[in-house]
Amino acid sequence: MRTIGWLLVLVYATSLPGSAQKAGDSNPATAVRALEGERVKAEARNDNDALDLILDNAVVYIEAGKVISKGDYLLRVKSAKPQLQQIVLEAMTVRTVENTAIVVGTYRKTDGKDGKSLKRWRFVDTWVNKKGSWMLVAAAATPLAK
Amino acid sequence: MVALLASVGTSASYAQGDADSDVEAKILATEHMWGQAYVSKDPKALERILDDAFVNIDSDGVVQNKAEAVAEVSTSTIVQFLTESMVVHLHGNTAIVTGIFQLKGVDHGKPFAQRERFVDTWLYKNGQWISIAGLVTRIGP
Repeated sequence: MRTIGWLLVLVYATSLPGSAQKAGDSNPATAVRALEGERVKAEARNDNDALDLILDNAVVYIEAGKVISKGDYLLRVKSAKPQLQQIVLEAMTVRTVENTAIVVGTYRKTDGKDGKSLKRWRFVDTWVNKKGSWMLVAAAATPLAK
Repeated sequence: MVALLASVGTSASYAQGDADSDVEAKILATEHMWGQAYVSKDPKALERILDDAFVNIDSDGVVQNKAEAVAEVSTSTIVQFLTESMVVHLHGNTAIVTGIFQLKGVDHGKPFAQRERFVDTWLYKNGQWISIAGLVTRIGP
């Protein structure tokens, strides 16, 4: 998943109202779903401050088969070039167990210039509620076979 | 293997004071048992390790539930399953494990080998660490 080196432009599959404060939503699944959208939107804006609040300091990010630390992730988002690629978030399911949430979904990456679809990915994200805030502790994706 | 599983299942509550290193050791031991279940074709081991709502994504992006994972063990053709570079990240009663597995097997007389990266999510539930999600992906260049 080499996308974090590029600026992302989002097209939401579903409406994602509100902001990161949605973590306080009384429905955990709704809060986590909103935060998933906020995370990708923050990448699109190169908004490392927002990402810093969403990502746990010990987040594990699996990108193209490599393990990326939070520091490396933020560094690459910060240095991303604008509008080279779009990410379209597709279906997403959220399951919460106690203070943990598992999100399984798919997204596709499209070229920012001609809109041609490049590749679809399936992802699993793990969120943990820490002191009332949902934090992303693991994010991993693998390309879908054609 | 059964003794190890029982040890994981009957351990004192994590929240009541197990050291992080002890917890990590238990989780890694269970990861090991998970892999060995494929070699010994032991679906009962997986029944205990995986949450009923377990979900796994394989390296082709295919979603697999607990029943499918357990069934896969019964028909496994894997003869060797090794893990390496495993790291545990604890977040209270949730744990993330990353690592690499290497497996070898023989399918219809034809040997095969795989080496892939995985990430598993574990939850301390009812006095036991169980896996609630996993993803496997090909190792990047």
